[in-house]
Amino acid sequence: MVYIQIPKLKRERIVVLTGREAVSISVLSLAVAFIVFSGFLMYEGADPIEAYRNIFSFAFDQKLGLSTTLHRGFFILFATLAFIIPMRAGLWNVGMEGQFYLGTIGAFAVAYTLPTLHPGILIPLMLLAGALFGAFYGALAGFLRGKLNVNEVVTTLMLNNIAFWLVYLLTVGGPWAGIAESTSRPLPASAHAPIILNTPFTSFLVIGIAVILYIFLKYSSIGYQIRVLGNSPAAAKHIGISAPKITVLVMALGGAIAGLSGYHMWAGDPAFFMIPRPEAYKAIADLTYWGLIIGLICLLNSIAAIPLSVFIGSILVGSTVLVRRLRLPFGLDVLFLGIISLTFVAFQFFHYYRIKIKRRE
Amino acid sequence: MWPFIIRSLEVATILLLAAIGELLTQRSGVLNVGIEGLMLLGAASGFLTAMIWGLIPGYLAGLLIGALFGLLHAILSITLRVNQVVSGMGVWLFAMGFVTYWADRYSGPLPPWVTSIRVYGLSPIFFLAIITVVVIWFILSKTHLGLKIRSTGENPFAAEVSGVKVMRIRYICTITGGALAGLAGAFLSLTYLGIWSHLPTKGLGWIAFALVMFSLWRPFILLGGALLFGFVWQFAISPETIYAGIPAPLPILRMLPFIITIILLIIISSERFRRKWWLARPEALGVPYIKE
Repeated sequence: MVYIQIPKLKRERIVVLTGREAVSISVLSLAVAFIVFSGFLMYEGADPIEAYRNIFSFAFDQKLGLSTTLHRGFFILFATLAFIIPMRAGLWNVGMEGQFYLGTIGAFAVAYTLPTLHPGILIPLMLLAGALFGAFYGALAGFLRGKLNVNEVVTTLMLNNIAFWLVYLLTVGGPWAGIAESTSRPLPASAHAPIILNTPFTSFLVIGIAVILYIFLKYSSIGYQIRVLGNSPAAAKHIGISAPKITVLVMALGGAIAGLSGYHMWAGDPAFFMIPRPEAYKAIADLTYWGLIIGLICLLNSIAAIPLSVFIGSILVGSTVLVRRLRLPFGLDVLFLGIISLTFVAFQFFHYYRIKIKRRE
Repeated sequence: MWPFIIRSLEVATILLLAAIGELLTQRSGVLNVGIEGLMLLGAASGFLTAMIWGLIPGYLAGLLIGALFGLLHAILSITLRVNQVVSGMGVWLFAMGFVTYWADRYSGPLPPWVTSIRVYGLSPIFFLAIITVVVIWFILSKTHLGLKIRSTGENPFAAEVSGVKVMRIRYICTITGGALAGLAGAFLSLTYLGIWSHLPTKGLGWIAFALVMFSLWRPFILLGGALLFGFVWQFAISPETIYAGIPAPLPILRMLPFIITIILLIIISSERFRRKWWLARPEALGVPYIKE
């Protein structure tokens, strides 16, 4: 008789997850996503290897997709940073979508009212207005949470939907309506973002914010208060940290960063220079939810979020070739992103547990 | 007037089915944030199935895919103990991508031979939703099973000690909740809309999610809330059927359900209600159960 001993699996709680482990978990989950998506590609009659080669050669080709890859990637980075700050204080900011809309409204309002201004003044003003509008929207949810104890997940999601219709109100048949149906008027030329090294200057702005944020959260006194509140609200109360104040602050900061992305998105890509149709701006805004996933994958480390955001941007841009170049069905590109988000979420398990094989005695 | 009432009752049906499922899930201590995604999946599979086999298989397909992804959420959040908000969000993001890929190429109306059965203009699914509410109320508050479910949501450790299979109860509730959300989605695409357009749920799932919070986890308050929001939602879409001279532009009206949700949230979070709300809230909601 041969006995096959089935090893008993046991999960072990991980107390501290190192950055290296987090990276290997992400790589593993990406590998699974690529394998799963290969199944869909083969079902559609495409060669997966060929498809992946096409995706990345397009996304990182200087003449083709690179500038869009960077642009979309840094857009996602804005959203990720907007998620990370409140999460450090234990708050779920899923309102990046709404804050991005409000930032769009702020930036466009400035550009439409003062189109003759010199770009050197107009662009900073647009950024400032976007940040202020976004900060207001974030602070609104922060206030409701901090002062009135309203669950921030639900309020931010509701505010997202309200902001969607607000943009709709302004663009579709509203005061900002353009000549083309249901898009806004084009931005004045003075508002277009200067391009540095193939990418709008706001990309460097967001990298700068990511670095500053890392230092701010790690070394500053307020950063310390934020982290204490996130780790233990009871301890925070004990040492005299005002939870409502920090709550409003982190949500406003997050909102401001998401608000900046309103300018980055529409003024940084020559394909836009206006607010497109509602389906199109909604599709862009849905990308902000990647902030949540990337933020968690990176263990809320804002510097680690930079390469991962750009990577997601490359998949976003590169997988459009599946539809355009390889003539595969529409929607396959968004499916790929959906699969990646699901495997990332499933592999969150390994952020908390490792599997040990337990020998039966 | 009657067509308007029917339409708003249809919206109420969608909300009710999705929300009563979520209520059951939450009562067992599992938070499913992904109902918007489950509804999308239900809507797509219902629509595609109905195009081939007709209405009833369409509803069943919605129910089935909802259950399947409810199971996925259960595996992720109960067995793998992934944060429940993250897991729900992941299911939702996946659903957006998958549904776009799967169903958008069939954009357009249902074939004319697929028509919803109606009694005085009302779909039988409306009555089914009401019956579901009554049944779930009965199970939760009058039966032994309901006691098990509630104790799982309140204090899983005590429940386990007294012989309740916590994991099994949570799995059953999450799968049932998912199935109901899937059915709600199928009803949305097959009966309410009758047409496929890009991502049709438009935030209804989130309203259903918020409804569960307002209802203090009680089925009959949920019923009232769903009827109210069904009315508001439909009013925002076609205000002219009530009163032709509404001065507000359409987009402002479309914000209305979301604004009302926030106001209601503020009210139930106020000092006076919070006590009650915290008492009603399943104690172990959102906390993974770790067997010692």
